[in-house]
Amino acid sequence: MTSNKFNYPDKEGFFGEFGGKFVPETLMYALEELENTYSKLKDDKDFIKEFYSDLSAFVGRPSPLYFAQRLTDKYKSGNIWLKREDLNHTGAHKINNTVGQILLAKHMGKKRIIAETGAGQHGVATATVAARLGLECHIYMGSEDVRRQSLNVYRIKLLGAQVHAVDSGSATLKDALNEAMRDWVSNIDDTYYIIGSVTGPHPYPMIVRDFNSVVGQEVIKQSNDLFNKMPDAIVACVGGGSNAMGIFYPFIEVQETRLIGVEAGGKGVSTGEHAAPLNDGTPGVLHGARSYLMQDEAGQVKDTKSVSAGLDYPGVGPEHSWLKDIGRAEYVAVSDDDALKAFHEVTELEGIMPALETAHAFAYLEPLMKELDSSSNVVINVSGRGDKDINTVAEIDGIEF
Amino acid sequence: MNRLTSTLSNLKANNQKALVAYLVAGDPDMDSTLDLMHLFVESGVDVIEIGVPFTDPIAEGPTIQRAHDRALKNNISLKMILSLVDEFRKSNKETPIVLMGYLNTFISHIELVQATGKDGIDSILVVDIPGELNLESYGISNPNINTISLISPTTSENRVELIANNSTGFIYYVNLRGVTGSSNLNISEIENNIGRIKKYTDLPTLAGFGIKTAEDAKTLAKFSDGIIIGSSIVEMINEASTTKEFDRIGKYIKDMKIAIS
Repeated sequence: MTSNKFNYPDKEGFFGEFGGKFVPETLMYALEELENTYSKLKDDKDFIKEFYSDLSAFVGRPSPLYFAQRLTDKYKSGNIWLKREDLNHTGAHKINNTVGQILLAKHMGKKRIIAETGAGQHGVATATVAARLGLECHIYMGSEDVRRQSLNVYRIKLLGAQVHAVDSGSATLKDALNEAMRDWVSNIDDTYYIIGSVTGPHPYPMIVRDFNSVVGQEVIKQSNDLFNKMPDAIVACVGGGSNAMGIFYPFIEVQETRLIGVEAGGKGVSTGEHAAPLNDGTPGVLHGARSYLMQDEAGQVKDTKSVSAGLDYPGVGPEHSWLKDIGRAEYVAVSDDDALKAFHEVTELEGIMPALETAHAFAYLEPLMKELDSSSNVVINVSGRGDKDINTVAEIDGIEF
Repeated sequence: MNRLTSTLSNLKANNQKALVAYLVAGDPDMDSTLDLMHLFVESGVDVIEIGVPFTDPIAEGPTIQRAHDRALKNNISLKMILSLVDEFRKSNKETPIVLMGYLNTFISHIELVQATGKDGIDSILVVDIPGELNLESYGISNPNINTISLISPTTSENRVELIANNSTGFIYYVNLRGVTGSSNLNISEIENNIGRIKKYTDLPTLAGFGIKTAEDAKTLAKFSDGIIIGSSIVEMINEASTTKEFDRIGKYIKDMKIAIS
């Protein structure tokens, strides 16, 4: 099923006009080292075996493709299937790529692991794989996110990693990324930076996509087994875009499947207070790659707004920008209010509490199902579980513990 | 000839080292920046490097990050910085001016940069483009403006050659693995690496990052064509941001100049 026609990134790390390596010179050596290591290992039988065996025994893959009976009954216009990444060890899709990246770090002999995190899921996933290999681990997190994701902060600490709260700029994910890059520049010889999304300089968008595309590969097989054809649509939330890329990538050549990415609409795309660069951004360069970006006319990066810490990012992975421009994927936005409504609805209807990020994907069912007929099959990528968001939701609902 | 190129070659001809001093435009305000630029020159600075504030300056340590934040609170844009340079040039047509910043701000102002005339800025250093690329790769080909590229301790031999061939202003050697304002200079490594660069190019090679004391400056000037000081000046600017009494900075620069002479 893999594509011969869609073959990106190119040698320089570009997806069409997006991507590349826009980093300070000190980091070029580390990127080349990573690129060389990955190109040697990615087709190595032992490496692949080790990766899939970890995904199976440590992560618990494959994750089920689950039929959502009551959601299906609600819309009455097609079957709704849930790809259960929320059931993975640590509770989200993030563990798939960190399991892969820590193997690269091991092969490169790196002793120190750093990562940025927004919602904390990537921080937890990174601290988890670092603990498993006994590696020193530092997680950078915006101080605003430290506050709203205190549960994950504690989990990261329990796993033996250090959490560094970042106060600069907007004190969210983008600033955590800035600080992680500064750490990397300063400790380049012994440190592996586990970037948490399909963002950053080449080769990261490719590596994270490749590791996480196990999700889409499983969906192809499971769709054949469960409904004997390919889905009519796949819906996934997009912050940096790794969960979406992981499920989209194996489907790029499957033309009958619509690929729909849902961005964080915050208070509404028209208000400007959101985190939806593919809906309301322009191409620019941030964190090592050229991609759609929320920026002002002077080229300064705008602050973002989203109830979901994991989507609260002004940029997006370069491959999504390319898929948007070539028209292979559709990108829409869902507001905070609609996402919160979906969070409650899915929890009550299905007994599955989705992460607030994932709730954005669920919220798009409302308009989408109106376009589909009852024979259609829609897959929602349940990127993570919502336990980490209970404090946020309770605060919004005015509940004190 | 480009003002930066001729200034550096005159210095070299007279067996002198270049002193480059950095500040962030609009920190604490544009009037102060203009005053400071003149103070720099009076105190012995050969080249002025103006930091173009950006929301996400990934190569900067805390001191310069905060200066970028302060400047952005004043809504400083590249357009305003080019006007500042015009103002400066009314009374100074000799001192070369380098803009140092991040790619996104420059590509957001391509037409302005293209329109810059002979008596404006002389060079641009983009921190986050790979050294084998230059401004022309991004649609900026202005004969008045040359490219400064960075080479770092981790740059491989084949990249040193590529970057050296691609640079037109000077080579900016990054003294350390780290962000601006870090410490712990490894002098012998710096000496070796600058020697390696000189195998590939006759362009002046200047050393920057982590230079704090006159002692540092003196040591590095022995095997480089000049030194760049940033964070320590930016810190002093911040300390005097309310009083606007910048005499201390003038004295600091004079001491640095003596140290490298």
